[in-house]
Amino acid sequence: MSEPVIETHVEVDASELPRLTPHTHPLWWGVLGAVAIEAAVVANLLTSYFYLMAQNEVWPPEGVDPPDLLYATIVLFVLPLSSVTMWWAGRGSDRNRKTQLALGVTASVGLATLALVFRSFQIAAFDIRWDEHAYGSILWAITGFHFTHVVSAILGTAVVSILAWKNYFTSERQLGVVVDTLYWYFVAGVFIPIYLVLYWAPRWL
Amino acid sequence: MTDLDPALDLRRSRHDPVPEHLAELERTWLSPPGFLGWFTHVNHTSIGLRFLITSLVFFMLAGLLGLAMRMQLLSPLNGFLDPDTYNQVMTVHGTAMMFLFAIPAMEGIGIYLVPLMVGARDMAFPRLNAFGYYVYLIGGTTFFASLFLGLAPDAGWFNYVPLSNRDYSEGYGIDVWTTMITFIEVSALTAAVELIVTIFKLRVPGMSLHRMPIFVWAILVMAFMILFAMPSVIVASAFLMMDRLVETQFFVAEMGGSPLLWQHLFWFFGHPEVYIILVPALGIVTTIVVTFTQRPVFGYTALVLAIVGIGMVSFGLWVHHMYTTGLPLLGRSFFQAASAMIAIASGVQIFSWIATLWGARIRFATPMWFVLGFFGVFIAGGLTGVMVASVPFDRQVHDTYFVVAHFHYVLVGGAVFPLFAGLYYWFPKATGRLLHEGLGKWSCAIIFAGFNVTFFPMHQLGLEGMPRRVYTYLPEMDWTFLNQLSSIGSLILAAGFALTLWNVIRSLRHGADSPPNPWHAPTLDWATTSPPLNCNFARQAVVESRHPVWDWSRDGKRGVVDGLRSDRRETVVTTLLDARPQSVQILPKPTPWPFFSAVIASICFFGLIFSPWFYVAGVFGTFVTFVFWFLPRKREEVV
Repeated sequence: MSEPVIETHVEVDASELPRLTPHTHPLWWGVLGAVAIEAAVVANLLTSYFYLMAQNEVWPPEGVDPPDLLYATIVLFVLPLSSVTMWWAGRGSDRNRKTQLALGVTASVGLATLALVFRSFQIAAFDIRWDEHAYGSILWAITGFHFTHVVSAILGTAVVSILAWKNYFTSERQLGVVVDTLYWYFVAGVFIPIYLVLYWAPRWL
Repeated sequence: MTDLDPALDLRRSRHDPVPEHLAELERTWLSPPGFLGWFTHVNHTSIGLRFLITSLVFFMLAGLLGLAMRMQLLSPLNGFLDPDTYNQVMTVHGTAMMFLFAIPAMEGIGIYLVPLMVGARDMAFPRLNAFGYYVYLIGGTTFFASLFLGLAPDAGWFNYVPLSNRDYSEGYGIDVWTTMITFIEVSALTAAVELIVTIFKLRVPGMSLHRMPIFVWAILVMAFMILFAMPSVIVASAFLMMDRLVETQFFVAEMGGSPLLWQHLFWFFGHPEVYIILVPALGIVTTIVVTFTQRPVFGYTALVLAIVGIGMVSFGLWVHHMYTTGLPLLGRSFFQAASAMIAIASGVQIFSWIATLWGARIRFATPMWFVLGFFGVFIAGGLTGVMVASVPFDRQVHDTYFVVAHFHYVLVGGAVFPLFAGLYYWFPKATGRLLHEGLGKWSCAIIFAGFNVTFFPMHQLGLEGMPRRVYTYLPEMDWTFLNQLSSIGSLILAAGFALTLWNVIRSLRHGADSPPNPWHAPTLDWATTSPPLNCNFARQAVVESRHPVWDWSRDGKRGVVDGLRSDRRETVVTTLLDARPQSVQILPKPTPWPFFSAVIASICFFGLIFSPWFYVAGVFGTFVTFVFWFLPRKREEVV
């Protein structure tokens, strides 16, 4: 064989590079990808809502009231509040204040659980079942979708808070906190368009 | 500091012993052998090959179903398949070719090649990769098995309501479709996220975005398309699942629902889907054109923009599947214009390839033959595409065999020919052996001839008014001769594919040993042994142009990354645009938890057919397995 031997020289020394970088770790991008998928699902659901609305002259159907505002509006404030506690927890984690982290995530789990309770009251008070009209179907589907997400965010964050109380997260090992926080912001934030569509579109449009 | 990299020493064959420093690295990256070990593999080379092999098995099975359909249509009023069976065979053929073959095959080839091409040691989330594979394997097998249990869906691959809702399709067939398709899309989505993050963050130092191989660009665009297209089919099939299972009214017109909502949601996915399959194939074609002409591609930037443009415009085309549903004139005009617009981007690519090929000393090996086959077949499909994009013409041939001919030209031309080109091109990479050239060229020629004999007559049948999806036709329609021609062609086509299958089996045992870079290709996938090392690269490279391997053999030197530990799995993370070294990612070891998660998720998805409570069970069941999956690693493994 006549191929020449290729000489190798070192241009990048990776032993100097950091191994634990919670804010630029590929997993952060991965969660962003998951959020993009979920956002696309929400966009499809809300578009379907408007499509069905456009197909029906009366929306909600005759004799059905738009869903009650009280509990949903409370949830609208409780969920962002839980994001604030989550953010506060993340700051604690960045600065290696372990109690702040543990308190913050626990408070978020508590607030989100409270939101779920309010949400359940309000679902119980829906004026229509899912099998009575397409309006009921889409209302229940979107509500159920978001409910499941809050449940899964609570479950995941509950694990994080247990680990936090057990002092697992050192300042180098806070990746789990960072990605959990990102997902939490999404679950809390996405309630805003859902709220506007489900509760205000039938009143305004 | 200067030394020799064994993986790059082009004179070294894969049988040579490796030096000491590589031995530990290879042990660290080893996939455990044995039957139980199989369920713990996470290396992308292993998972990528599994995707590819599984999808080719489904391709063969779905191809046999196609053959069965052609046998039924061999003569008028034939009794080879009864009408119910025909409907199931037709539906499973279409669905399997799209969801179980084409998308997973493209994902598989991306999963196998992208880390190699960007010089990474593995993908960003190896366990998620494994999870996606098991989901696909279990979902796909369940879907296909339904055919043999007589439980298969029978409403066509796009499963239109109201035919597919509970009033008109009793039994479990449609439920199998809705649950299993949703489930398999989960696997496509995990692969998409995986590919995007790997491409964004794990490129070797120096591989800025404008030095990325076109193939990697194509996979990136495909992954983004999956990300935004798949959610609509998931939403659509979730709605249909609920309509059938818990009596929601999404698609029931009397109850305020809308059957057209299904069509919008389905085609908002379904049209980009075609391009999800096509775009990676364009990447394969470009790779092969570059290697077999031994010159840089003409118009790199234009080509990248064309691929990105196709990705974007393809989301504005879905309504051209719905011209006959009574759309407003403005809507029809908009989508007709958008459909024609895609020809601009496709044209840019074709001209880039022609300019690259022009005057070059082309090496006409089998992969290049398949690429030439792609040009012929795909351009013919593109021409009929321009025809059906026009509203008046489309309304004439809608739901006829003309459309069947058109999309087989586009899909077989646009995906199968490039995929087979890629198979012949990368087979030596994955196995260390070359496929037989003579058999390969015969196979290509027979496939090309068989394909045209099968599908070209369908254009005429369609113009003569033969509707698609009919299990038979009457003798007085005068469609017999063309149908017979088509059926004979399908046998020739099958023989062509069988020849490649035989070539693969034969070459695995007796094929000639391949040198590390048999085609003298310029990309990093060839800068390691064939088959690749467990760790892919003994040393990760540092690149300075679009054609690193050509540079190295010209200059006789190359830059590498040093300082990665060999006692755990590490790969370099770089910045998104310029690929400057940023950090090091520690990748996980083999684990069985993704498999357990996939099994639990499968049981719950399948259970949905019978009871909605499986939804709740699924949420909690998979959560438990995820906790074990993500259970924090021991302190010494992360610090």
